Amino acid sequence: MPAQSPAGPVALWRTRSGRAAAFADRCPHRGMRLSHGFVRGETLSCIYHGWSYAQAGNCLRIPAHPALTPPDTIRVATQHVEDGGGIIWISVGEPAAPPPRFEGLAPLRSMVVEAGIVALEAAAGTRAAGGLLDYTHDDRAVRLLLAPEGQARTLMHVLADEDSNPGERIAASRAAESLRRVAEDIARGGIAR
Amino acid sequence: MTRDTMIDGWYPVSLASQLDAHGRSTALMGEPIEVRRGEDGNAKVTGGNGRALPACIRYGHVWSSLGDPQKPLFAIPEADQPGRRLVDVGVVRVRCSPLRAVENFLDIAHFPFVHTDILGAEPHTEVQNYKVEIREDEDEVWATQVRFYQPQAAKSAEGGITTEYMYRVPAPTCSILYKTCPPRPGEWDVITLFVQPLAEDLCDVWPWMALFDDETPMTDLIHFQQTIFVQDRSILENQIPRLLPLDPGMEIPTRADLTSVAYRRWLKRHGYTYGAQLVAQ
Ligand code: FES
Ligand SMILES: [Fe+2]
Repeated sequence: MPAQSPAGPVALWRTRSGRAAAFADRCPHRGMRLSHGFVRGETLSCIYHGWSYAQAGNCLRIPAHPALTPPDTIRVATQHVEDGGGIIWISVGEPAAPPPRFEGLAPLRSMVVEAGIVALEAAAGTRAAGGLLDYTHDDRAVRLLLAPEGQARTLMHVLADEDSNPGERIAASRAAESLRRVAEDIARGGIAR
Repeated sequence: MTRDTMIDGWYPVSLASQLDAHGRSTALMGEPIEVRRGEDGNAKVTGGNGRALPACIRYGHVWSSLGDPQKPLFAIPEADQPGRRLVDVGVVRVRCSPLRAVENFLDIAHFPFVHTDILGAEPHTEVQNYKVEIREDEDEVWATQVRFYQPQAAKSAEGGITTEYMYRVPAPTCSILYKTCPPRPGEWDVITLFVQPLAEDLCDVWPWMALFDDETPMTDLIHFQQTIFVQDRSILENQIPRLLPLDPGMEIPTRADLTSVAYRRWLKRHGYTYGAQLVAQ
């Protein structure tokens, strides 16, 4: 699937055996977006000419030349991926520390908000700390993990209490949606309700 | 900025069969133009400021130029051969560089992945060696002895065959494909790709065909080609960068891409750079 990182668009994928990988979203052959490709076993293949790449980014096969072993110089830029607690993290460059763990919280869903973090903070009435925003709506606390995609868009992950029941999870999800609407209104310069 | 030599070339701007007195508004290399049938029955093309532009009708299309064409439109002798059916496929708009659209047309290695079970299928992915040259006399790029296994090479083909192709690039945004003709061994079907550059990253693609095929209904022939081009569009709108990189280093060609390598070299040599980028970015 396509995703964004501070280093540009990435193709995020998971091998058959379950390992996650993040590639620069551009095939070195003719520039096709790798997020349009397909996973076969432990490899990601480009949809244009079928070149396939291992999780480490090296090219394994060029279908137009089946007998050729691709030189090691043919490779896709990769980003470091951590997969834990139901959240996939990518880091640009070598990470200094492992990603944070959110004890007692489970990821519920992700949504794209057409607004920057400042508008989200204004909508929530609180400040984000370490990428986390706590929002209280109708006496219900929701924790939001924010990943900025440029100035005007944010990918927002909703985290809910691990022990919450389905009804509470639906309520948390609704609360996040209402926050999104308010933040988008603010970003558009409209009046928040 | 240096004047792009592509300004003096001929470009398709309309189907000849759709030419009427009312006219069609379109664009050529960023300039709005009007194409209509004049009182005398000839095509009239006017530029943004009302100036009359060169115009001619050939191969099912109206052709025009923003500059001063130094040569008449290239010849396709086969198009005048008796017994051929001439097929106006119509137009496909693609948000890509006009040069990327031509390069994709010259490429066979993508058939099994993009035109799966039509023009190619795994495991038949190998591209055999073929010949590529820039013919100096004609000043054209040619690829010959191109062979590829195809499950259904043309509307008139039953089952899989190894098809032989020749590709020809007589102008920066036009290419002609000669392809084995199943009902008439010894003759070549002609399939062309005429690209109208609307902007550096937007084009109207006008495929056109001259075939030996009396059987297949016209709508099927048109539908077959449109299916192919719509599949190509999903690729062309997702290549990065949008402009065709003419300098090596940005992309990695292999032996299968020798036609594309020659095409890029030929473009660069002539300064045909509308829709291209010279430095890696
Ligand atoms: S562009 Fe990816 S394989 Fe050719
Ligand atoms: Fe194609």
